[in-house]
Amino acid sequence: MTLVKEAPARPAKKRSAAPAAGRRGRRRENIAGYLFMSPWIAGFLVLTAGPMIASLYYAFTRYNLFTPPEWVGLDNFTTMFQDPRWQKSVEVTLKYVVVATPLKLLLALGVALLLAQKRSGQGLYRAAFYMPSLIGASVSVGFVWRALFSDDAIVDRTQKVFGLDVGGWIGNPDYVLYALVALSIWQFGAPMVIFLAGLKQVPQELYEAAEMDGAGPLRRFWNITLPMISPVLFFNVLLESIHAFQVFGSAYVVSNTQCGPADATLVYTCYLYQKGFKEAQMGFASAMAWTLVVAVALVTAVLFWSQKKWVHYEEAAK
Amino acid sequence: MGTSRNVERRTILKAAGGAAAALGLATTTACGGGDSGSGDGNVTLRYAWWGGEPRTIAMKKAIAVFEKKYPKIKIKPEFTDYAAFWEKFQTQASGGNPPDVFQNAVGFLRKYDKRGVLMDLKSQADAGNLDLNNFRNGVLANGQVDGKQLGIPVGANTMALVIDLKAFKKAGVEAKMGWTWDEYFDALQTIQDKLKIAGDTGYFGIMYLYDLYLRQNGKAFFTDSDLGFTEDDLTQWWADGYKRVKSGLVADPKKIEQVQPKSGLSAGLAASEFTWDNFSIRYEGEGESDYGLAPIPTTDGKDTGQYLGSLMLSAFSGTKHPKEAAQFISFMVHDPEVGKIMGYDRGILSTTEQYDAFVPTDDQNKGVKAYEEEVAKAGVLGKITPHPSGADVVEAAFLRIAGEVSQGKTKPADAAKALFSEAKAAFAG
Repeated sequence: MTLVKEAPARPAKKRSAAPAAGRRGRRRENIAGYLFMSPWIAGFLVLTAGPMIASLYYAFTRYNLFTPPEWVGLDNFTTMFQDPRWQKSVEVTLKYVVVATPLKLLLALGVALLLAQKRSGQGLYRAAFYMPSLIGASVSVGFVWRALFSDDAIVDRTQKVFGLDVGGWIGNPDYVLYALVALSIWQFGAPMVIFLAGLKQVPQELYEAAEMDGAGPLRRFWNITLPMISPVLFFNVLLESIHAFQVFGSAYVVSNTQCGPADATLVYTCYLYQKGFKEAQMGFASAMAWTLVVAVALVTAVLFWSQKKWVHYEEAAK
Repeated sequence: MGTSRNVERRTILKAAGGAAAALGLATTTACGGGDSGSGDGNVTLRYAWWGGEPRTIAMKKAIAVFEKKYPKIKIKPEFTDYAAFWEKFQTQASGGNPPDVFQNAVGFLRKYDKRGVLMDLKSQADAGNLDLNNFRNGVLANGQVDGKQLGIPVGANTMALVIDLKAFKKAGVEAKMGWTWDEYFDALQTIQDKLKIAGDTGYFGIMYLYDLYLRQNGKAFFTDSDLGFTEDDLTQWWADGYKRVKSGLVADPKKIEQVQPKSGLSAGLAASEFTWDNFSIRYEGEGESDYGLAPIPTTDGKDTGQYLGSLMLSAFSGTKHPKEAAQFISFMVHDPEVGKIMGYDRGILSTTEQYDAFVPTDDQNKGVKAYEEEVAKAGVLGKITPHPSGADVVEAAFLRIAGEVSQGKTKPADAAKALFSEAKAAFAG
């Protein structure tokens, strides 16, 4: 009971069996922990949470950066939904997400299946295929892409050999988005590594048993591999779709900062950037940003809901 | 409720600003105790401009000349390309931290005047820190808005037609003063027939050229606060343009897009291109052919609608060193040595001291000089039309929407409608 006398302020903690010294030690440990985390916490509050709260407020204001924000209620949202360029940006983004994400995952899975087999030089291949993901976000790759897909550049010349004369993808509003899709697919390394990890987890005896039952490779893939890696597939689908919704750098660089020609690469974030930083309509841009947050949250929710139907967790199998 | 949120926002911003300031201080203390203030009388001015590498090299030389003559004033240069410049400037200015002195253009005067960023330099001229004499051809007026002197022109330039001399000669067509638009398009037709290349790179997307065309017809692109033409005018202009793309008189926009940042003219995609005359110097370096300046086509065989545009220097209204900023501007626009260093990079030098000091030796600069003199002598130069706040956004929209028209993605009538709606939003912003 001396303990209670010493620390009457916290009688509730009496339950704890730990001696005072141990508790104090843990508290000191906690403080040390928070101290070490403090740069991150400060950074999070100042650089992430603060601006997010500010932008939520700006979404309901007219704000040109110079005069104080003026409360306009839902005006930004109503103008936004009626804005033909906003509609175009939604259309372009959806097209990009729907085309780029599955293709990228398909390639990632395909290559992962090949690299999962034991071969010599496996490590080298894995590194080589992962490499583009490391440099993929850089501006220089955007420039390289622009050079590759321009008029009379290597892609165009190769196409001409096969009798397809497009005249370069970059200047053509009907093709330029697919140059971005190609860039996204090229960076399949990250999901591939995750697929590889998933493939390693599939118990070999399942394959052996299936083989004994006379199941061919396709059947084994369909009935064993795919269900077994479905959690990993789910994770990749989720991550890659979210990424795809936020595509910016490649569109901005490949289109020479114009998100064009003819708004053909006007992805959502590109329009957001133009509105905010070129036209100084920060309120509108904030409204766009929060609409994107909600849209991505909805897509995520739908994916989570759908996983019951196709994702198999081992716990469930047991 | 609004106020409490405001307070919260301000606190957050202050915290962020404090952190940034702390970082900033840490870097400046290293060089002389951050003494951009007083004390020993030394002053540091931030000076920002946009432009390519040659301009930056020349500018640094010019700054060195200034610092030698004014040892108590240090200049800290900041430079980027044109698009990045204004994005950065907007952010800096809204945070109350724009450069003390910066390059400016007519499309931005009202915009930043309205936002209280630009210093009225008249007061500094009255105080004797800035010399407003000896400006050529009344170009000083370019920096005036509503009776205020918001910018001091460093150079003056006018729109011109840059032509591929070899192509024009081969096709046997001649560009002459006072020629009409019909004659111009006939020339393009001849070039196409004889040389199998397009004649023009895409004239109908250039806002400043359309301005000239409108001025030839008694209108102008801008009024003080609005557009100075109708949707029908623009529909007609773009419909004609699209027709000429289709017929091959104007180069394929898909190809023009892909040679950027090179111009369609120097890439050999067309035989002529409308642009500012001081830009013409780049073509020789970029392209294989010889290039020259030709007159702007007219409607009536006389009036080109031309005027002298210009780059200028402006100062931040809230600078801590208004006197030094004015002295720096004055030196940069008047000093003969600086004129010799800068040349016609930012247009024909705007003051007589600098104009007389720089004698061009190469054909390109000589050509620009001769062209401007010819235009001035022809007496066609008018006064610049005003640019309302938001003009910069309208110019970008004009170029973009014209691009959609030329690619066949938007019908001219819809495109004109879109431009008017975007302009309305830009002027309101």
